[in-house]
Amino acid sequence: MEDRELVRLAREGSQGAFEKLVTRYQSKVFSMALSFTRNREAADDLAQEVFLKAYLALPRFKGKSEFGTWLYRISINHIRDFLRKKSRAKEVSLEEAGEIAFSDSDQADKAAREAETETRRGLVRRFVESLPDKYRVILTLRDIQGLPYEQIARVLGLSPGTVDSRLHRARKMLKTKMSPHLRREGGFDEM
Amino acid sequence: MRCKKAEQWISRSLDGRLDGREKGLLEEHLAACPSCRKAEAEYRSMTALLRNGKECDPAPRFWERLEPRLREEREIVPLLVYERFALRAVPVFLALVALAAGLLFFTPRSEELTRSEALLLENINPLAETRTLFEEEKPENRNMMLIFASAEDTAPARRRMP
Repeated sequence: MEDRELVRLAREGSQGAFEKLVTRYQSKVFSMALSFTRNREAADDLAQEVFLKAYLALPRFKGKSEFGTWLYRISINHIRDFLRKKSRAKEVSLEEAGEIAFSDSDQADKAAREAETETRRGLVRRFVESLPDKYRVILTLRDIQGLPYEQIARVLGLSPGTVDSRLHRARKMLKTKMSPHLRREGGFDEM
Repeated sequence: MRCKKAEQWISRSLDGRLDGREKGLLEEHLAACPSCRKAEAEYRSMTALLRNGKECDPAPRFWERLEPRLREEREIVPLLVYERFALRAVPVFLALVALAAGLLFFTPRSEELTRSEALLLENINPLAETRTLFEEEKPENRNMMLIFASAEDTAPARRRMP
């Protein structure tokens, strides 16, 4: 059944229809929350709250946009509020960051390399957290969540041109922040 | 092509948003510019690290944990609506009380009774006095009585309070 139909039924009071929508989107919402918080427990709580908000706001959902886009918008706003309240320390200390570099030892086994990649991934995410809110959001939506430009534009209420320029600025800022921690010329390779 | 423009196009190329001509121009620039080549490598590895590639699942029994919360909200929401209206009703009620009080205060009350009304309330025929007045034979006495009677009429009788 399509989202539109499920939304209609949920608005009429069908719990089952809303359950289907939750099941369809729970991983997406959770992943987004996780990419912002990097904490599974907090992300789970946020995802629950997002669906709770969506459920209460469902009577006001006019269906002008897709349900997924509308839900993303609720998620982004809710996560932003959460982060604002939490006001986590944004700066990444140099000691914590260490050097983000690729281990070119041929003897390193696959597991160790994967673990290293995960560590580097975590560090990059911490740098993302230190970016101003609007750049952090757009970078998370595009580079972490992999949302297409058009959907990002709809979720954030921006023109595709603004998405393009803001995303470029966000990537540039992130690269600048990370540059001092790059050891090897040519950057840090993935995997 | 300037390096600034090239950097912008590198970012676009990460999302596959360059057409064939732009791609060609960027490749030409990269071939000739080592600093942009380095920047491109950094951008590519940075975005590759950011891209997770997989969706994560929340903790198990997501719906089972959510459902009671929805039920709770469903029960609370009508109460909240009632409370909202109840809270709005308080100032409306106070305004109505103030209006009623104002109306009572400013409405002219006929507190004062005429002499005739007072006599009627005392169960006395008001014409009885008039009759005695007209039965007086001496005109000077009658005139004096009329003067006093009119003077008495100007002094209003107070309504008796229960």
